[in-house]
Amino acid sequence: MADLGPDDVQRLAAALSLSLSAEDAVEIAHRLNAFLDALAALDPLPLDRVEPWPTSPEGSA
Amino acid sequence: MAYEPRGIRVNRTEDDLVFAGAARQAALMREKRVSPRELVTAYLKRIAQLDGRLRAFITICRESALAEASRAETEAAKGEWRGPLHGIPFAVKDQLDTAGILTTSGSALLRDNIPPDDSTVVARLKAAGGILLGKLNLTEFALGGTIRFPYGQPRNPWNPDHDPGGSSSGSGIAAAAALCSITLGEDTGGSVRSPASYCGAVGLRPTWGRVSRHGCFPAAWSMDQVGPLTRTVEDSALVLSLIAGYDTKDPTTSHSAVPDYRAALAAGAKGLRIGVVTELVDGAETHAEVRSAVREAARGLAKLGAAVEDMSLSFVHHAGGVFMALCDSEAAGRHRLWLGTRPEEYDTGTRRRLIAAGLIPAMSLHRAARARAVIREQVLSALTKYDLLLAPTSPHPAPPIASHTAPVTSKEEAARRFFGRRSYTTPASLAGVPAISVPCGFTAGGLPIGLQLIARPLAEASILRAASAWEKAAGLASRRPSLVDLPAHA
Repeated sequence: MADLGPDDVQRLAAALSLSLSAEDAVEIAHRLNAFLDALAALDPLPLDRVEPWPTSPEGSA
Repeated sequence: MAYEPRGIRVNRTEDDLVFAGAARQAALMREKRVSPRELVTAYLKRIAQLDGRLRAFITICRESALAEASRAETEAAKGEWRGPLHGIPFAVKDQLDTAGILTTSGSALLRDNIPPDDSTVVARLKAAGGILLGKLNLTEFALGGTIRFPYGQPRNPWNPDHDPGGSSSGSGIAAAAALCSITLGEDTGGSVRSPASYCGAVGLRPTWGRVSRHGCFPAAWSMDQVGPLTRTVEDSALVLSLIAGYDTKDPTTSHSAVPDYRAALAAGAKGLRIGVVTELVDGAETHAEVRSAVREAARGLAKLGAAVEDMSLSFVHHAGGVFMALCDSEAAGRHRLWLGTRPEEYDTGTRRRLIAAGLIPAMSLHRAARARAVIREQVLSALTKYDLLLAPTSPHPAPPIASHTAPVTSKEEAARRFFGRRSYTTPASLAGVPAISVPCGFTAGGLPIGLQLIARPLAEASILRAASAWEKAAGLASRRPSLVDLPAHA
């Protein structure tokens, strides 16, 4: 997947009614691209066999 | 690992008193060898001497603490004891509500926030006789990555140019530098354990649901957990015994009975089965001195009678990214309104962190939620074979403050700075299981190294008995930071 740039980030933020400075948009693009890479790395994992329930203090271990 | 304390302590007797554990101080109080007012005064004096540089505190409750100490003294003279903490000064992370006292969550946005009621954990420590000494500094909204701290830059007591860890920065500093008897922090992805590791303190993240979160400003509801940051494992056990248990104000709290955690310490490490997480101990990111100290601790626990062997958690390196996506997107939702209306009042690092997470596509977040379940399943499965998992708390000792205040200039740097080290503490957070950081050595440069022990849900007693046995064997709890040569910092 191609990396997002500051302009992409500005448009995404605008959809949430958030206005960003140019400096913020540059760094947020780096941070968001890092997230997208980290989460894309999950694709090969067997994620469909589990339900996404979070936790329980009376856990089953 | 060799370590020579720096500096000179002027008043050894007073030093010994303030560095003594709360359990020891409480015993001295019952023996009438120290009074609540003496102890509170000693800490106030120490705060006045040191905290202009360390910046552990946001608010110091001087007058109310002295008044409470006088009351505790009068009661003690009559043989009236409120509880195990009678006359013991404590301080809490400024994320926890305190009735009538400024509670900022480390943010300028809450500079006028004075809650009407105590959080449940503060109320419980007060009911046990504890005296609130003040509110402790933290990274903004307990999120980490703050660049400019609105209430002063917190500094590591072992080297003021280095990070004290976060988000419970002030709690780690105050415990390690003996600015109060005991502290509370809050741990979502390592926020108690990280400052414990960097500052050379003991930090316990209890099982999710073991301790009430009522009155704690949230970061991520399914991982937030209040826990003690103390100088000794015994104090950690003491505090946990007092704050744990069901709370009608927090429906996620467990109904399970609260054990006497201090009584459990005597069992030691003998018979415990401990798995050493090789991905975290031997990983490429793990600093050589950290690896050496943690391996030494594993051998030490084996000598104490534990059955120790290497094991694998193959998905663990995904934990940092998965945690950050889930935690930060949830936090972004919580901050959505203020990010739109008051963005300039956030620290730059916090604002960028929250907005970046707010832009993650929903499909990716759903994958992260499923990955969390896989990591959780792997951790819980390992804990059916082992009583404890052992790993470093952090891959490296406390980094220089300057290393994480510069702008992020690439996605690779963002991943390294924000995901990498979190893969060490977030497996326990994602799984909802308890974990502790206890000192296990020092670098050649004199910075502390933290050992992490992780247990199955509600098995804090296993963690505490192993940590206590190791603490006694290693003899590290008696080491104190030299604070006399701290340069003055604003």
